[in-house]
Amino acid sequence: MKKLLFLLVFLGVAALMAWGFDQAMFIAPTEATMGNVQRIFYYHVPHGMLSYLFFSINFVASVLVLAWRRSNPAKALAADAWALAGAEVGVVFSSVVLITGPLWAKPVWGIWWTWDARLTTSLVLWLIYVSYLLVRRFAAGPEMQTLAAVLSVFGALDMPINYLANRLWRTQHPAPVIGGDADSGMAPPIATAFVWNIVAWAVWGLLVLAIRVYIERRQQTIDGAAAQAALAAD
Amino acid sequence: MGNKFLVAAYCCTWAIQLGYLLWMVVKWQSQKSKIGAGK
Repeated sequence: MKKLLFLLVFLGVAALMAWGFDQAMFIAPTEATMGNVQRIFYYHVPHGMLSYLFFSINFVASVLVLAWRRSNPAKALAADAWALAGAEVGVVFSSVVLITGPLWAKPVWGIWWTWDARLTTSLVLWLIYVSYLLVRRFAAGPEMQTLAAVLSVFGALDMPINYLANRLWRTQHPAPVIGGDADSGMAPPIATAFVWNIVAWAVWGLLVLAIRVYIERRQQTIDGAAAQAALAAD
Repeated sequence: MGNKFLVAAYCCTWAIQLGYLLWMVVKWQSQKSKIGAGK
């Protein structure tokens, strides 16, 4: 029953992804200035927006780890699984942003990369969460989760800076199309395809996040059982 | 001219997303075998 439900959810998400792809590639009109390469927008921007969502999940879960680590270790362990999953899925989404961005920049700007405020803070954001994952991977001992949670809280400070970068400073990266100045906005058919892709990638990302949390919770059970067995053997 | 960049961007996106999903499937399977060995 559980397997059937999972299969149905997975098929539903796959159908939504296919619909988003169809919208981006075939239904949305070709942009007048950039041509077909503008269709990268339908993958690049939703991934950027959703990476904030997953890094925010990591931030909230890390705060809960710090709040519960002494008073309620079982809850802190659960929060830690969400923190890890949030960081991993966030890194996956921001990796897509960092790869699709230069692939869009080269034909449009004539360069792969420039060290403007938006691009640089995006790279720094990615590096912060990669280092968070490296700390988790290589730091030993019971304080690893606390150390990672503290790093996450400081790392989250880069999110608002990254978001505001092309509002506060003059950048090569375009001005925001959503919530920007009076000239910002999208033509309705472009907005429709954009919204479908945000919905599709959000549902995909949340499904992947849920799977990752489930795997990590199971790993915690396996590690706990192994630790108990080692203690019993001593 | 722009199309090869578009195709590359979409292929890279799917390669990264499906690669991560595949990595989770491998991890899931290795947990299953560990749980099986523990029983």
